Amino acid sequence: MSVASKTKTVISDQRVILLVLTVVLFLFFGFKNSAFFNTDFVLYPLLRDGAVLTVIGLAQLCALSIGHLNLAVGRMAAVSALAAGSAYQYLHFSLVPGVIVGLLTGSVLGAVTGLIIVKSQVNAFIVTLAMDFALLGFVTFIYVTFTGATAAFITKPKGMDYWRNTSLHQYCIAKLCGPAVFPMMLIPAIFALALVGFLFARTKLGRELLATGSNLRAAKLSGIPVDRRVIIAHTFSGLLAALAGVMLAFTNGSFTAAIGSQFMLPSFLGPVLGGTLLVGGSVAVLGTFIGTMLTLVIRQGLSVQGIGLETLNIALGLVLLTALSLGQIQKMLLSLRMRGRG
Amino acid sequence: MLKTFFQHRMTELSLTIIFIVGFGILVATSHGILLHRNSLQGFLTYLAVPIVIGMAQMVVLCIGQMNLAVGAMGGVSSGVMAVLMAQHHYPIWLALLIGFLVATGVGAINGALVVLTQLNGFIITLGTMTILLGFQYRLVRSFTIDAYPISLPNFGAKSVLGFPLILMIAIATSVLLSLFFSRTATGRRVLATGGNALAARLSGVSNNRSVLIAHTLSGALVGVASIITIASLPGINRSIGGDWMLSSFAAPIIGGVLMAGGTVAVYGTIVAAGVVRLVDIARAQYSLDPSIVSLTVGVVVLSTVALSEWRRRRSERAREGMKVSR
Repeated sequence: MSVASKTKTVISDQRVILLVLTVVLFLFFGFKNSAFFNTDFVLYPLLRDGAVLTVIGLAQLCALSIGHLNLAVGRMAAVSALAAGSAYQYLHFSLVPGVIVGLLTGSVLGAVTGLIIVKSQVNAFIVTLAMDFALLGFVTFIYVTFTGATAAFITKPKGMDYWRNTSLHQYCIAKLCGPAVFPMMLIPAIFALALVGFLFARTKLGRELLATGSNLRAAKLSGIPVDRRVIIAHTFSGLLAALAGVMLAFTNGSFTAAIGSQFMLPSFLGPVLGGTLLVGGSVAVLGTFIGTMLTLVIRQGLSVQGIGLETLNIALGLVLLTALSLGQIQKMLLSLRMRGRG
Repeated sequence: MLKTFFQHRMTELSLTIIFIVGFGILVATSHGILLHRNSLQGFLTYLAVPIVIGMAQMVVLCIGQMNLAVGAMGGVSSGVMAVLMAQHHYPIWLALLIGFLVATGVGAINGALVVLTQLNGFIITLGTMTILLGFQYRLVRSFTIDAYPISLPNFGAKSVLGFPLILMIAIATSVLLSLFFSRTATGRRVLATGGNALAARLSGVSNNRSVLIAHTLSGALVGVASIITIASLPGINRSIGGDWMLSSFAAPIIGGVLMAGGTVAVYGTIVAAGVVRLVDIARAQYSLDPSIVSLTVGVVVLSTVALSEWRRRRSERAREGMKVSR
């Protein structure tokens, strides 16, 4: 029991450290260049991107919870956005049904991926990588074939602009209005955070997913239908990837093949920085949000300082590698301390 | 053992037949244009890079890991070569050597990080890939660097009996690699790690050393691919390496390398690279959209993975009871 509680304190520590780091960096960049505190051009887009990337982080987290990886998150997002976009373009769906079409597409893709993993018993990262390759060609092919030179579905359903452009500022209770910096896009992200958090913290299903992740054999022996749990985890992963894809399409204002192409790195950065174990069995839902925000603050902060894309890449890669090494050092220290005690 | 041996030959045999038949169809439908000296030369020249990067991925796959950074490593290493020659006027051999060593060094760093963190190479190379893309951009910027001595492209265009020299380099590299895995103790130790890490450790193999060797070797092969690239292309820009990832995985996977590690298939990888190249040629010939290539290759890779692993696991499960993958 003491091991578990100890691990727990370390993880929650990590979240606190992360939060402090995010706030300190935020203030640092702001005081260095006050343009960073600009609501319309920096903070609002920052939070809006944060919303999308948090959701894609959660999509990865669902796969990580069972110790798998989903390398196809970006492409699943792309296919789902494609489905939603074509529903708007050709079937003239209104906003919500289109989103539902997108989410269903993502879930089906996730379920199929999970099914292939279970049936073939191949490593998840290989199946999802191959899936990624197949979907990559599919998405580009469809856009080029159906939309020609524009390579995008540009029909905007009614209400799309509302979600991409407005903030809580227009909602007022008496004279108290919501903050202008709070994008409407954050609402689905918070919704997703709450649901995934609830799933892993409070439900039997969530606990079974974690048990599957921490020790597959033990989970199997204690009567958990692990195959079905694997499929469910990948279905959730696909569903959340779809949500992120549709959210990004809304943010961009069009449905293109480029959606999701930048999702792979952020999808890992958020959960890993937040303290989700890559080997499965432990997730950090809120940590994913904080980790995502940290990377975005670094990214935006550096670019406000006028630092180019190439340095941003170097910085983000270093952050990922440092976080991974830190996790390992932390684990080594923990085992040393435990050995000292035992 | 004999059965798996046969299965491997089966993959290689059927790939060879597919290659020959596909080539025949393309020759027939192009009214023999493909057999003309120039188009044949082009076909064979641009086969060299896919073969070598397929090898670079294969050596990491054989320890059950993957190297996402092949493209970025190639981009940086060929960028270093080009910049040293064009802007610092290094002699060709020195620039190529330094570029090669950069790629090898990055491979070694990948390996060291994997050993240090004990995580799958996938996530480590995702990190190094991001960093390297940044360096590549800093190095090459948005220019095309081609101001290097003319003797290099001349060398790249050389051919012996209609066979491009650089394709020979690629094949010679593959033969050496094949010998490394079949004839040397180190090579076999690496394969042992990939086949069953626990068993390898119990029989005295240092898995960490195998991981380090595999990643370093992968880097060195990327270095060779960069040399081939810079010798065969008119110039180096920042798009180099951008499209290497899919082909680096496609060739070894279709060629019959088991994704769980423990095997290599050098000949299979070469033929599979040839088949992928045929798809590319077919696309150009029938003027289809480029996305059709990745769609076809992706679907083929996905089904190959599913089928071959399912077949292998089925026979393995019968033997081992409930061995489960992570």
